[in-house]
Amino acid sequence: MRRYAGTLAGLLAVALLALPAAAQDKPRLGGELIFAVPSQPPSYDGHQEETFGLIHPVAPHYSTLLRVDPFDKTGTKPVGDLAESWTISKDGLVYTFKIRKGVKFHDGGELTAKDVKASYDKIIFPPAGVKSLRKAAYAAVAAVEAPDASTARFKLKWPESSFLLNLASPWNFIYKADILAKDIRWYEKNVMGTGPFKFVEHVKGSHWVGKKNPDYWDKGKPYLDGYRALFISSSSAQVAAVRGERAHIQFRGFTPADRDSLVAALGPKIAVQESAWDCALMVAMHHEKKPFDDKRVRRALTLALDRWEASKNLSKIAIVRDVAGIQVPGTPYATPPEELKKLAGYRPDINASRAEAKRLLKEAGVPEGFSFTFKNRGIPQPYEPIGIWLIDQWKQIGLNVKQEIIEASAYHPMLKRGDFEAAMDFQCGFIVEPDLDLGRFLTNSDANYGKHKDVAIDDLYQRQARATDPEERKKILRVLEKRLLDEEVHVMYTLQWHRIIPHSAKVKGWTITPSHYLNNQLDTVWLTE
Amino acid sequence: MSKYLLKRFLLMFPTLLGVAVVIFVLIRVIPGDVVELRMSGDRGSASQQAIDEERVRFGLDQPVWKQFATWVWGVVRLDFGTSMWTGAPIGEEIKLRFALSMQVAIMATIVAVLLAIPLGVVAALKQDTWVDYAVRIFSIAGLATPSFWLGIVFILLLLIVFKWLPPMVYTPFWVNPWQNLLQLVWPALAVGYRYSAVATRMTRSAMLEVLREDYIRTARAKGLVQKLVLSRHALKNAMLPVMTVIGLEFAFLLGGLVVTEQVFNLNGLGLLFVQAVAHRDYTLIQALVMIVSGFFILVNFVMDVMYAWLDPRIRYR
Repeated sequence: MRRYAGTLAGLLAVALLALPAAAQDKPRLGGELIFAVPSQPPSYDGHQEETFGLIHPVAPHYSTLLRVDPFDKTGTKPVGDLAESWTISKDGLVYTFKIRKGVKFHDGGELTAKDVKASYDKIIFPPAGVKSLRKAAYAAVAAVEAPDASTARFKLKWPESSFLLNLASPWNFIYKADILAKDIRWYEKNVMGTGPFKFVEHVKGSHWVGKKNPDYWDKGKPYLDGYRALFISSSSAQVAAVRGERAHIQFRGFTPADRDSLVAALGPKIAVQESAWDCALMVAMHHEKKPFDDKRVRRALTLALDRWEASKNLSKIAIVRDVAGIQVPGTPYATPPEELKKLAGYRPDINASRAEAKRLLKEAGVPEGFSFTFKNRGIPQPYEPIGIWLIDQWKQIGLNVKQEIIEASAYHPMLKRGDFEAAMDFQCGFIVEPDLDLGRFLTNSDANYGKHKDVAIDDLYQRQARATDPEERKKILRVLEKRLLDEEVHVMYTLQWHRIIPHSAKVKGWTITPSHYLNNQLDTVWLTE
Repeated sequence: MSKYLLKRFLLMFPTLLGVAVVIFVLIRVIPGDVVELRMSGDRGSASQQAIDEERVRFGLDQPVWKQFATWVWGVVRLDFGTSMWTGAPIGEEIKLRFALSMQVAIMATIVAVLLAIPLGVVAALKQDTWVDYAVRIFSIAGLATPSFWLGIVFILLLLIVFKWLPPMVYTPFWVNPWQNLLQLVWPALAVGYRYSAVATRMTRSAMLEVLREDYIRTARAKGLVQKLVLSRHALKNAMLPVMTVIGLEFAFLLGGLVVTEQVFNLNGLGLLFVQAVAHRDYTLIQALVMIVSGFFILVNFVMDVMYAWLDPRIRYR
């Protein structure tokens, strides 16, 4: 009995300790979330923009067919938003979605499958003169149908393993079919969706305001009365806004130094969430320029990089951290650490790697002290520290590299012209998914800046995209990765970006994901006071 | 007098045309393209076909002379077109920012004038005394201190000492004067201090020069009291170069407070200018340059009128 009494007392104590936490975890209704946005929306149409400056203030007004689970830290788990449920045909060619009933647009109109079809038709089959940035991502779609008010059906030309996740794209706002029929460009300058918040005002360059949608389909949500996005371009002003409690959060990310200064200044009033970031800086090497046409030279360049040491040191000053392959660490198709360490430039013994690099350069006829120009983008974080690190690493194998900083606005045209020997290439994704991240390495891709031609990569890409078994897909991806980064070294990855969100401890119900484009509907977010 | 003013007025137009040609050509010479920038986004990729289609939509596939002619015809009708970045009318983009920048410029000018003229006059009257030295140190410190740095110091002081930050959203004065002043008084002080330093130095040296003139000696010999000598004879004449400095600084403030606007997160014309250049938003850059240079030219014209009023020699020429 005494033994049980001890156990009971222990359980009681645990329960009592858990009580305040449980009470705190119960969402509180009310309040206005204020967040800083470092960029601004060009137009209001998510289908044709590609900046978080649109997603952060505009996403709370809309629903999408599927969404990424707002509590999934990998940002790779699709859940229904307007879709209540779905089925996939055995051959993987037909996706049928049951649309929720009773979902209302902010103007009072009822949402039906017709609206889903009209929105996806605009994305996938835009009429002439209408821009759709993600049209190519749905090349597999043959038709979108709405056989009845509560059923939407996608017919595919070929099975595509990423299709479901691609439908959870945060950009694919569902618009009202009647409005699109009258004016397909209406949503460029107007806002009207079925999301948890209604549009109140946008003062250009200043702020954006949304208020709670009382008719939101998910009863009880949103918890907030509204939100206010403040457009703040200067990073020091963003930090000051959080520190001065003028803003609760900034959803893109801060530097390690900003995090440390906020934590030091605000102590328990600040909470910090961190995650590997679905953004990577890569080095593009021009395959049509000597000596980068020689894979021994490209391999030597990647062998020179001590990524493991850099991870420890650069993560203190720059928004990078993890050593990674072609996928974000911690996500389903990420390279296992033991596999990663087998790739050129990822082996733990840096001295052996650099000795091999020197030998390869010699074999390729590259003289000691060979110099070339590395072009970098004129953005401080993390381009500058990574650029300096690369030059230092290449110096260790006897190369003399000059860095040329190109103003950010002129950088992309320079890459497209191929006006470089080696240059920093970059990518940020909205969902970690091999199809979306690796398409740029196809021979005919517009983003294949190094201009490599490799049918083996093209073939492997197609095979992994159509592999319906995840294990089989993983195997193909590892082969593709080995060819891309080790055997041919068409490109080299530096370090994975690292997302750091220090926010007011009052903000609850928001979970960091690897993408700063995700989890911005704000329906799950609440404030403790 | 009217001939003088008419001449000055008519000179404004060729100047504006020159500005229009220069900005139109320059912005197209620098590398970068609004369409590629807008379409590449963070993923850094966009198909060439999509880029070409968008260029056609903006009329960028037309010959440059045709683009220029279309734009100038619009400007003549006061239609600056729409922003290539946001698609919104230029007037809508500029309206609020213009009001904010104008208010900061006016407030900074008030701060500068209130500091500069009394300090400059006192320093001249008390030349080489401790008062003069104190004013000189104050004004040289103002010249040596960048406004944005002073702004950062203000922000840090408010944050660390008072645990308070000025509002980050602009509220027009007529909506809520208190909120408006709480936000704008700090940049006005930061900018006004540097501005006052320039004007103080100018007031002091102009006063010193005027106080040595024969007509001042004559006025004193006639038995005029010091106050009248200063206000009627000395200050009015010494104000000519000071007015020039104040006018030019005022015009500069309208679009030149780029860093200060960033520090205080002011949604002004300077910040808009930087964003427009970063986005290669041709139509917006052209409109902003025309507006700011038009304002400069207008302020110069007003200065010319003031000169004529203050100095009869110009009037009667």
